[in-house]
Amino acid sequence: MGTSVESSAVRSRSGVRFKAEWRLPSDPAFLPVVRGAMERLCAVFGWDESEARSITLAIDEALTNVIRHAYHKRPDGVIEFICEEKEGVLEFLVSDTGDAPDLAKICARARESHAAGGMGTHIIRDVMDTSDYRRAGMANHLIMTKRLKRSAESS
Amino acid sequence: MKTSFRDQGNVRIVAVEGDVDLNSSGELRRVLFAALGGVNRLVINLGGIRYLDSSGIATLIEVLKECQKTKTEFALFAMSPAVHEVFRLTHVIKIFRVYENEEQAVGGGA
Repeated sequence: MGTSVESSAVRSRSGVRFKAEWRLPSDPAFLPVVRGAMERLCAVFGWDESEARSITLAIDEALTNVIRHAYHKRPDGVIEFICEEKEGVLEFLVSDTGDAPDLAKICARARESHAAGGMGTHIIRDVMDTSDYRRAGMANHLIMTKRLKRSAESS
Repeated sequence: MKTSFRDQGNVRIVAVEGDVDLNSSGELRRVLFAALGGVNRLVINLGGIRYLDSSGIATLIEVLKECQKTKTEFALFAMSPAVHEVFRLTHVIKIFRVYENEEQAVGGGA
C-alpha cells in the first residue's frame, strides 16, 4: 500500500482552488511525509514559519490519533486525508474506518493538567479555527478549518 | 531519531536529534528510562530535535515523574523556537526546568 496525491492547482490567484487528496496506510512512517508537504503548503498560503509549524503539528496530531486510537497502531488501516481550499479557509478532512472515537474523552484532559496523555486534541482545538468530529456509517471524520491568512487580514 | 549520552560527574547528558513523533517516542522513552540509573541529575539536550509532537512531550512528562520518584533532578536545555512552541501549545512548560545551554543545565540552580 502506498500514498497517492492529487493536486488540482496552486493558490486561488489563478482562479483555481487548491485540493489535495491523500490515501495513507495507518503507518507512522508516513507521518513525516505529510508534515513535509503541509509545511510547504502553509508557506504557499502565506502563513509564517511559526503558524505553518502549528498547523502542521495539528494535522500530525489528528493523524496520530487515528493511528493510535482508531487503528490501535495496526499499520494496515486506511486514512483518507483531504486538504481543500474553500471560501476563505483551508479545510482538512481526516477519515478512517477504525474504532469510533469516544467523544466524551476528546479534550477531556484539563488544559493545565500534567498528565502525559490527551494533549493532541487540545492542540487541534487551539490551532484550528474549527474542529468537528462526525461518524457516518462505518467511517469517522474529523473536519478542521483554518482561516486563510489573506481572509483573516482583510476582515 | 538518534540519541547519545555522556556523563559529567554525577550528571548524565542525553542528546536527542531528529524527529520525535509516534514512530520514535517509544524508543525515546526506553532510552531515557535506561539513562536514569546511577546519576543524580539527568539533562536532555533538545537542540538537535527537528520535530516534536505531543507523544514526545508525553514521554518527557513520564521521565520527569520517574525522576521525581527516584529523587533524580531532571532538566532540559537548548530548546529551539519550534520545540518551545509545542511545549507552549501543550501547556506543560512550567513543570520542567528549562535552561539555555548545557553549562547552565549541568550546573542547575534557579
